[in-house]
Amino acid sequence: MALTFFLFFFILLFTMVPLSQVWTVASYVIGKKLKGVKRYPLVLMLEPLFRCNLACAGCGKIQYPDHILNRRLTPEQCWAAAEECGAPIVSIAGGEPLVHKEIDRIVEGLIRMKRYIYLCSNALLLKKRLDLFKPSKYLTFSIHLDGLKEEHDESVCREGVYETAVEGIKEAVKRGFRVTINSTLFDGANPERVRAFFDEAMRLGIEGIMVSPGYSYQKAPDQEHFLQRNKTKELFKQILKDRKKSWKFNLSPLFLEFLQGNIEYDCTPWGNPTYNVFGWQKPCYLLQDGYAKSFKELMESTPWEKYGFRSGNPKCANCMVHSGYEATAVNDTFGSWRGFAKTVKATLSL
Amino acid sequence: MGKEKKVLSGEKYVFSNDSQKIEILEAAFDYRGDVTLELVQGQTIEGYLFNRQLTKAPFFVEMLLPGEESARRIPIEEICAVTFSGKDPADGKSYEAWKAKKEKERREEAKKIESEMKQAGLLD
Repeated sequence: MALTFFLFFFILLFTMVPLSQVWTVASYVIGKKLKGVKRYPLVLMLEPLFRCNLACAGCGKIQYPDHILNRRLTPEQCWAAAEECGAPIVSIAGGEPLVHKEIDRIVEGLIRMKRYIYLCSNALLLKKRLDLFKPSKYLTFSIHLDGLKEEHDESVCREGVYETAVEGIKEAVKRGFRVTINSTLFDGANPERVRAFFDEAMRLGIEGIMVSPGYSYQKAPDQEHFLQRNKTKELFKQILKDRKKSWKFNLSPLFLEFLQGNIEYDCTPWGNPTYNVFGWQKPCYLLQDGYAKSFKELMESTPWEKYGFRSGNPKCANCMVHSGYEATAVNDTFGSWRGFAKTVKATLSL
Repeated sequence: MGKEKKVLSGEKYVFSNDSQKIEILEAAFDYRGDVTLELVQGQTIEGYLFNRQLTKAPFFVEMLLPGEESARRIPIEEICAVTFSGKDPADGKSYEAWKAKKEKERREEAKKIESEMKQAGLLD
């Protein structure tokens, strides 16, 4: 009875995503808790290819020789990874997933498995490829937009990308698809411009905004503009002060509190396991310390204590990215009544 | 090769001892271009070194080779030299080109505005 009430109340907190999605995630997490599972995945980060049609300044994901960029995960490999990992949400990233010739089959199969999919795209091909997909509560296009036109085109190192992405978003919204945006912020971001960007994004009819500070990839071309931890907190405090009711975030309320420095968390690197053409990436979506052949091997052979802010690992020192901390925030919400109360308080203060 | 030295494409390292071998293979793992391994039996293998196990047995590296679907696992005792044979796609050159283009455009825009202001008599 208490559990039902707990879930129901939680559902009421997050009405920007379908109730079925909230229910699926909530019951999955609570099920793991009841079984005493200490480490479990929340979102599978699936990278079916590394090839991209952009070369963004802050991206360290795509710098490989051509024969690696030409490799693709097959739909069968993608479905097997989703099955093996069991996470209720699958984020399809890359590379640019819409470049993959079988992306529609990959998505169809994951929908059959009842996984909630966030297909991360720069939207350059979205209008052209939209016919391949059918609107579904299981499918969300998560479009990369780092700011208004000037900031976004600068961030992706190509002019005209913002306008193309906005056209794609409008078309997808018009056809009844679920659409969110995902924004990465870097040092030098102007809080007022970011706020104006949030206004503009919500006017496009999207479901919500995902926002995160950029991770300081060692292989990214621009090494000058990654945010340090204190600067991240200050920036998000300024952006999120007097938050507008019209802004909807596809992030947990406690993660937003964390970004503003109101809560201290450590990373949950196993929360978003990553599978790509090399295998299961150790330890997380952002670091590449090796690969495992299976999800089980990843979970059992990764020295998790060596990662995260509190480990003292310099590679983790400034990371506040959602792929590491959103799972911590969700775990906090469900870990205790105190955590749940914090979530309620953070939600009500919006 | 000291830790402070950045590996450049084209460099070749013939191993003189085990600790140097581990250090170079770790650098090859970190490198984003192809590498060529020379094996003790005289064979060479060129491809992308994406995985390694260098601190516990069995000691090996794993590579993906152009035209081959599956990864190859090579025991490290079989490797006697590494050449960083492929160009490094993470050298930031395309970004440098973009920055230079934007800088040129900004300078041209500033010149244009200056010229317009002068014509309007707002600048000497």
